[in-house]
Amino acid sequence: MNTRSIRFRLTVWYAGLLAALLALFGISVYFGLARYLEWSLKESLAMQAQQIAVSHLADVRLTGEDYVIGEIREHYAPEINSRLVRVTRADGSLMYVSGAPQDGSFDPTGLPVPTIPDEAQTREVHLPQGDGEVLLYTMPFTARDGSRFIVETGAPYDAIESVLHGLLLTLALGLPVIVVLSIGGGYFVMRRALEPVDALTRSAERITSRNLNERLPIVPTGDELERLSVALNSMVARLDAAFTHIRRFSADASHELRTPLTVLRGELEGIVQEPHLTTEMREMIGSALEETERLSKIVESLLVISRLDAGEARMERARFDLAELTATTVEQLRLLAEDKNITLVGDTQGTVEVEGDRARLKQVVVNLVDNAIKYTPAGGRVEVRVKREDAHALLEVKDTGAGIPKEALLHIFERFYRVDMARSRAVGGTGLGLAIVKSICAAHGGQVKVESTENKGSRFEVQLPAAGVDNRLAQAQGESQPTGYANSAQETVEAGITKNARQSVAATGEKL
Amino acid sequence: MRILLVEDEEKVARFIVRGLEAERYAVDAARDGVSGLRFATTYDYDLILLDLLLPGMSGTEVLRGLRRVNASVPVLVLTARDALTDKVENFEAGADDYLTKPFAFAELLVRVKALLRRGAVNRASSLRVGDLELDRLSQTVKRAGRRVELTSKEYALLEYLMTNAGRVLSRTMIVEHVWDQSFDGATNIVDVYVRHLRHKVDDPHEQKLIRTVRGVGYSISDGTDE
Repeated sequence: MNTRSIRFRLTVWYAGLLAALLALFGISVYFGLARYLEWSLKESLAMQAQQIAVSHLADVRLTGEDYVIGEIREHYAPEINSRLVRVTRADGSLMYVSGAPQDGSFDPTGLPVPTIPDEAQTREVHLPQGDGEVLLYTMPFTARDGSRFIVETGAPYDAIESVLHGLLLTLALGLPVIVVLSIGGGYFVMRRALEPVDALTRSAERITSRNLNERLPIVPTGDELERLSVALNSMVARLDAAFTHIRRFSADASHELRTPLTVLRGELEGIVQEPHLTTEMREMIGSALEETERLSKIVESLLVISRLDAGEARMERARFDLAELTATTVEQLRLLAEDKNITLVGDTQGTVEVEGDRARLKQVVVNLVDNAIKYTPAGGRVEVRVKREDAHALLEVKDTGAGIPKEALLHIFERFYRVDMARSRAVGGTGLGLAIVKSICAAHGGQVKVESTENKGSRFEVQLPAAGVDNRLAQAQGESQPTGYANSAQETVEAGITKNARQSVAATGEKL
Repeated sequence: MRILLVEDEEKVARFIVRGLEAERYAVDAARDGVSGLRFATTYDYDLILLDLLLPGMSGTEVLRGLRRVNASVPVLVLTARDALTDKVENFEAGADDYLTKPFAFAELLVRVKALLRRGAVNRASSLRVGDLELDRLSQTVKRAGRRVELTSKEYALLEYLMTNAGRVLSRTMIVEHVWDQSFDGATNIVDVYVRHLRHKVDDPHEQKLIRTVRGVGYSISDGTDE
C-alpha cells in the first residue's frame, strides 16, 4: 500500500479523528450515565423515605408502630428489592430495620445509629458483608403528634456499577469495531472518490509524443476533476502544437538543406569529370566532395533522429529473432575487426524474439559494433552477446578499448557529442551514431545503457521488450529495475542521463 | 534517347541536364508541374525525371495526370523529402524508381540507364575488364587466366563494380547494393572491402583496375573505355 497516497493519508486522518471523537463520546457517556444513575437512585431513595414518613409514619400514634412496620414491609419489601429501610425514634432506639437482602450484599444490622440531622442528607456508608457500598438517605421526620423519627432508606451501588460496567464493556468492544469499519468504509469511499483521478492518470500516461493528437476523456461532472482534465488537455494541445511545429520545421529544413547540397554535389562531381584538372585540383574537389557527403549524412541522420523522437518515423513492426540478426550482422562486420587485428566474438545462442523494425534494429547493432571496433586498439577484443532476461531482450557489446571518461558518459548519447575531438576526427563519422541508437531504442520502447572504465573498455547494453510479453509491463519493469552492475569503479549511464534522473528520462524522453 | 526533366530548382536542373547531355542524352527541362505535364503528354519521352515539390502542381499530381494518358513511360522521382509514406504514395501513383536528394550523379545515371533498359539489364554470364574475368555461372574470378579466390562479399562487390565498369560508384550505392542501408553511416566497410579486393585483384599485377575517385567513390576499368 502506498502510504503517501491521498487515499491512505485521508483515511488515516479520518480514522484517527473518528477514534478520538468516539473516545471522547464514550467518556462523556460513561460519566454522564454514572452521574444520572446516582442522581436517580438518590431521588428514588428520597421519594421512598418521604412516602414512608408521610403515608405511614405521620399517624403512628393512631395506627401503632406494628401497623406501620407491616405497611412498610408490605409496600416496600426491602429484602426482596435489595433496599434498606430503617426507622429510628428520637431517642436513638430502633423502631424498624429491614433485614439483609436476599443476595446478601449488605447487612443493615451493622449500621450505626445516627443522630437526628437538621435536614435530609445523603451519604455513602460502608456496610459489612459483600462489597456493600450503600447509598443512604437520612431524613428527620416529625409525626403529627410531635414525636420525631429518623427515616433512612438505602440501596447498594451494585446496580449502578453493573450498568456502568456493561456500558464500559460495550464501549470498549464496540468503538474499535466502529473505527475499523469506518476505516474500511472510508478507504472504500476514498477509492471511489479518487477513481476518476486514477483514470485520468492512466489516460495521461498513455499520451506520449507519438499520439499527442489524443485527448483525455472529460466527464462533465462540473467538479475539480473536470477542470483538471480540461487544463491537462489544453496543455497537451499546446504540446501538440509545439511538436507539430518542430515536425514541420524538420520537413522544411530537410528540403531547404537537401536542395543546396544536391547542387553542391552535382556541380563538384561535374568538375571532377573534367579531364584537364591538375592532381592538386582533383584532390581539393575530392576533399570538398567528401565534406559534402558528410554533410548530407549528418542532415540525413538528424532527420532520422528527429522523426524517431517525434514518433513520426514509419516503422515496420515484425517479429524476428534478434540473436539471428545480430549473428549475421556480426559476420558482415567481421572483416572490419580482422582488418584491425581485433577479435570479434559473437555469443548469440538460442532465439531471442523481439518485435520491431528489423532494418533499424540492425542499424543499432551495426553502429554499436562498428563503434566498438573503431575505439578498440589493435589486438583488442569485442564481444557481442544477445540473451533474454525476464521480459527483455538484451544486446550487449563489450570492448577492450580506451573506455569513456566519467564526465563524458553523461553526454555520450547526445547529438554531436565527441569524447575526444582529435580521435573522433581521425575515425570519421557524423557524431550521431549513438544518438541514432538511442532514438531507435526509445522508439521500440527500449533503452540503451553504457558503463565504462577508462583504459579498460566499455560495455553498451541495449534493452528491448521481448516479443510475446506485455510491452507496457516490460517497460514499467525496465524503469523500476535497479541497475545491477554499477559499482564504484564504473559509472553507469542510461541513454545519456544519470540514474538519479531516470524518472525524468521516462518523463521527458518517453512520455513527452 | 530523349529525357524530360521536371525540376523547379534551376541549379539542380542545370547540372542534371549538363550531366545527362554529357552522356549523350537529349534532355528537355520543365520548370513547373503544369508545363511538365504538358511536355510529358505532348512529346514522346523515353524517360521522365520528376521532382516532387513543384510550384503550381505537385509531382504526384503530375504523375497521376501522366499515368491517365501514358502508362508506359518510365518515371524516376526525385525528392528532397524521404518520408516513406511519400515513397509508397508515389509508387502507387505510378513511379518506377525513387531517388532522394542529395544524390550522387553516378547513382542517378545508373538508375536512368536501368530504367531505359527496362529489364534488359546486363545479365551476361561473364563480365570482363581488361584481363579480369568474372564468371557468373560458376561465381569464379580470374585475373590473367589465374583463379582469384574471393569471399562472397568481395565477389558481390567486384560483380557490382564490373557490371558498371567504367562508371564511378559512390560508397552509398555500393553499400546499398552489396550490403544494406544499415551499413550506410559511419562504417568504412566499403573502403575495407575495396582494399581487400585490391589486395587480391590488383596487387600482384602491373595494371591497376580498381580506381578511387576521391570524394566520389570507386570504379573499375582498364583505362580504355573512358
